[in-house]
Amino acid sequence: MCKLGIYLVCDYPNREKFLEAVRVCEDFKIDFLEIGFPFSDPVADGDAIEQAAFDVLQRENTNDFVDRLKEVRAIFSKKLYVMTYANVVFGYGSDRFAKDIECADGIIIADLPYVESKRFKKPFEKYGVNLIHFVTPESTKEDMDKIKNSSKDFVYFVSMRGTTGGRLVLDDELKSKLEYMKFGFNKDVILGFGIKDKIDIKNACEYSDGVVIGSEAVRNLNNNSFYNYIESLF
Amino acid sequence: MNGYFGSYGGQFVPETLIKTLRELEDAFFRFKKDKIAKKEFEDYLKNYAGRETPLYYAKNLSDYVGFKVYLKREDLLHTGAHKLNNTLGQILLAKFMGKNRIVAETGAGQHGVATATASALLGMECVVYMGKKDMERQEPNVKRMKLLGANVIKVEKGSMTLKSAINEALRDWVKNVKTTHYLLGSAVGPHPFPLIVKYFQSVIGKEARKQILNQEGRLPDSVVACVGGGSNAIGIFSGFVKDNVELIGVEAGGESLELGKHSATLTKGRPGILHGALSYLLQDDYGQVARVHSVSAGLDYPGVGPEHSYLKDSERAKYDVCFDGEAIEGFKVLSRLEGIIPALESSHAVGYVLKNRDRFKDKLVIVNLSGRGDKDLGIIDSLEGNNV
Ligand SMILES: Cc1ncc(COP(=O)(O)O)c(C=O)c1O
Repeated sequence: MCKLGIYLVCDYPNREKFLEAVRVCEDFKIDFLEIGFPFSDPVADGDAIEQAAFDVLQRENTNDFVDRLKEVRAIFSKKLYVMTYANVVFGYGSDRFAKDIECADGIIIADLPYVESKRFKKPFEKYGVNLIHFVTPESTKEDMDKIKNSSKDFVYFVSMRGTTGGRLVLDDELKSKLEYMKFGFNKDVILGFGIKDKIDIKNACEYSDGVVIGSEAVRNLNNNSFYNYIESLF
Repeated sequence: MNGYFGSYGGQFVPETLIKTLRELEDAFFRFKKDKIAKKEFEDYLKNYAGRETPLYYAKNLSDYVGFKVYLKREDLLHTGAHKLNNTLGQILLAKFMGKNRIVAETGAGQHGVATATASALLGMECVVYMGKKDMERQEPNVKRMKLLGANVIKVEKGSMTLKSAINEALRDWVKNVKTTHYLLGSAVGPHPFPLIVKYFQSVIGKEARKQILNQEGRLPDSVVACVGGGSNAIGIFSGFVKDNVELIGVEAGGESLELGKHSATLTKGRPGILHGALSYLLQDDYGQVARVHSVSAGLDYPGVGPEHSYLKDSERAKYDVCFDGEAIEGFKVLSRLEGIIPALESSHAVGYVLKNRDRFKDKLVIVNLSGRGDKDLGIIDSLEGNNV
């Protein structure tokens, strides 16, 4: 039972196509969705997602993203997460942001490492939104132990040193860290960054509880090939 | 909290960088205590970079404004700006950590030149990210970097200025974190960068304090420095922060104080998170980082180092603005009166003193002249009505 998650940039390439993609994900029974709320300076992202974010920010702001999230919630029946950057939350007001995305199951903040997570955890948990932590090839055992103990939902395992859009390489270091992370941990370990196709999914799922696909999904959505792409993953 | 100045600072970076920041902090504390490393650094500062730099009594300027002005001559440092203090220090630190590759961002190109210089000297591979707009307006420094052996990478995304260059340098660092040191050029970024940059730039303040006591027999009333990210300012402020001396940071007022037309982060911003730290930030109501402007590439940045946010809130330092036109006035006045062509960044500190001459009446003032202005002749030339 390997889970498949899809990341979409909110309202990219436009509202209609975005919502249509959400419906496709619902129809294919995708296990979870991550909705990216764009940020002006997305340093964890590669070109594909950054360009999409810049495009959306020319026309929209957080009020639009929150409205759309509610529409997504009405369409999509499985788990729903918001993915963004620290200042989209902080600069808007953490409490207000948490309340506005109450309908989501969790929040993923790309530039919020575990060491800084405390101040954000509280407001989100107040509204039943779980804060997702990251593990990376750079994480030590002690880092992973802490994250195991404080995660209330899945852990986002970043497959590589780099930004979104790279290529998955399941080397020994990654495999052994995935193994350590999964050991004695009763939540899902989801592998992200660099997952593109069915073969990547199959390989990744030997070592994780699931995967999330971002850049490749965003690229296909922009190329009007989203339906065929999702179909090709099964 | 560790890594904070009051409520400002922190490490808001992708998780991948956390281990390296921990190692950097640890190495920095060991480096500071290491007598051999310290000696090596001091030796390079003296015999290679040309420290100490003079504290020059600017008599003509003083006569012109009606009070005593001293200039801390960082423009006389090798490569023409204070930036070399930090790059020599951090490259020695990078070697100390066993890294062999350096990435850096640059706005005005001074930090890029200083990074390329120290890399050439100490045998490091050097990659410098620079926004397209800055490569055009600070072209002489692009040529210098290339000559020094750096790989200058043009950034054609976002604002195409310092902010975009930092974004790309961070992305490079995340990918190459095992071999690469990110040599941040200002007192910004995640902990421990603001501490490291202050440590290496504090030589400015230490010298200036000693020099003014020697020359005037007393401390100054005010110390004035321009603030981009805040490294030259924190460097000179650190020498006087415990004294009863007024500290003034001068931000770029740009064309006006309407959002988008200036880079006056502390004057007009509010707390936010960018490039790894919580600090004052120019942003919109939704936390998106605002477009900014300054005639000076080195000040054209929406953020500021976290310690300055702390100094502002605690009222230990004050921050004010100098507009583009006033900075150009400072640039010209200093050139004509003293035969010193200042960097456009430093010209903001000079312009601020000129426009506030009434306020400084009878005072003893030190202006940190952070760099020289050769790189800016093209900008001055192209400004209408400002033909040199
Ligand atoms: C000469 C000079 N002064 C000042 C600055 C601004 O940086 P900081 O505020 O870090 O001193 C720069 C940056 O490029 C510079 O080149």
